Amino acid sequence: MVRAALTQPKRIGHGPMPFAGYVPAITVVAASLLAALPVVSTSGWFPDFGYLILLSWRLLRADPWPAWWAAPLGLVNDLFTGYPVGFSIALWSATMLALDLIDRRTMWRDYWIEWGLAAVLIAIDEWLQWRLARIVGADVPFMMMLPALVISICVFPLSAWLVSRVDAWRLGR
Amino acid sequence: MATARPGWSRRAQYGLFFSFLAVIAGIIIGLILLAISLAAPAAFANIRGAALDVTGPVASALHEVTATAEGLVTGADDYWDAARQNGELKRERKAMLQRMIEAKAIMQENLQLKATLQLRQHSRDTVAVGRIVGSSFNSPRRFAILSAGSSDGIAEGMPVRSPDGLVGRIIDAGQLASRVLLISDRASIVPARLLRNGMPVIAQGRGDGTIDVRPLEVGRNPFKRGDIIITSGTGGLYPPLVPVAKVLKLDDDGAVAVPLADPANTSFAIVEPAFEPAAIAAEKAPAAADAP
Repeated sequence: MVRAALTQPKRIGHGPMPFAGYVPAITVVAASLLAALPVVSTSGWFPDFGYLILLSWRLLRADPWPAWWAAPLGLVNDLFTGYPVGFSIALWSATMLALDLIDRRTMWRDYWIEWGLAAVLIAIDEWLQWRLARIVGADVPFMMMLPALVISICVFPLSAWLVSRVDAWRLGR
Repeated sequence: MATARPGWSRRAQYGLFFSFLAVIAGIIIGLILLAISLAAPAAFANIRGAALDVTGPVASALHEVTATAEGLVTGADDYWDAARQNGELKRERKAMLQRMIEAKAIMQENLQLKATLQLRQHSRDTVAVGRIVGSSFNSPRRFAILSAGSSDGIAEGMPVRSPDGLVGRIIDAGQLASRVLLISDRASIVPARLLRNGMPVIAQGRGDGTIDVRPLEVGRNPFKRGDIIITSGTGGLYPPLVPVAKVLKLDDDGAVAVPLADPANTSFAIVEPAFEPAAIAAEKAPAAADAP
């Protein structure tokens, strides 16, 4: 696992990066910051980048960061993406907890199961956003969320691949 | 959080237990903050403004890059069929000149009429001019980020327009950047009227970049394809006579319209003072009453 990899470099000069422990959290913040891209979307079909990267890390590793970091990471996401403050904090912490409970139950994992899990969690994310929007007065039909949902689910393998590359790089593999 | 059972080590067991507690605390804190931000939307205005100040300038800087790249592409495209465009523009110019003279005559007549009526003209001064540099990506809400903030005099509730039409209004103001609720957001309702016959209508966003327009009075569907919707100034939040949208297609009791000011292609956005500041105060009062 990660802790072992952090302590035992296999070859001299090929060990983990000095800040390997912080790299996952930094990539999640960077993904949240994608909200600052100068792209004006009139349809809102872009994926929730921060949540995708968080899920990718958590499904790749059991301990990419101490579990409670999900709360401050969520706060950063809320602030940069303009979600109501507290939404990502609660959702991301709940995701960490849910995936830990699922990890205790599942006997085996493969890419399909991970993609399915991610799809379910992304769907929950979109559904909650839709519910929240209804509460604050933006009562849109759920059909409108479907394109964003499908795009997010299709983008997940890409983000999982990116995260696995970053993981290999930070551990010097 | 380690997933495997930690074995017999008491220390490891405690570590696992406390990390579970920390996550549950995170969820609870998140839910509390969420409840506060839903009940009192202005509660986190300060930190949201600070976050906007971090991303706003970045987005502005990147915007220059994309604008330049897009300019190069469209510029090359313009050269490609310059001759045809030239002919078209000349024809348009001729037609426009005629219309302009008509308009000037109407304006003079209007001035005279107003003078006789002694109408008090509302001065429409500009608070600030900024660029739309970003937007909400994944959300049923439609927000945009404007590259001007409270240091330019922007405050919450101010209407934002572009030369083409109404863009929306300010909902978060940071020092250097602010967040705009676009008119295509579901929560945005603009009192408007039909330009053709002055019939009062309501323009509500649909969340996907288009707008629902409904007549205030029940009856026959008054819309036609290509109708222009303008603000009526009712309610005092938006100034009157600002173009809002163009009707795209009709449905049962109203129509679907597209905003005339496309936030993706708006070069400059103009922030104006709230038309009737009392309206904003009135809008805020019920929100404050709802808050616990």
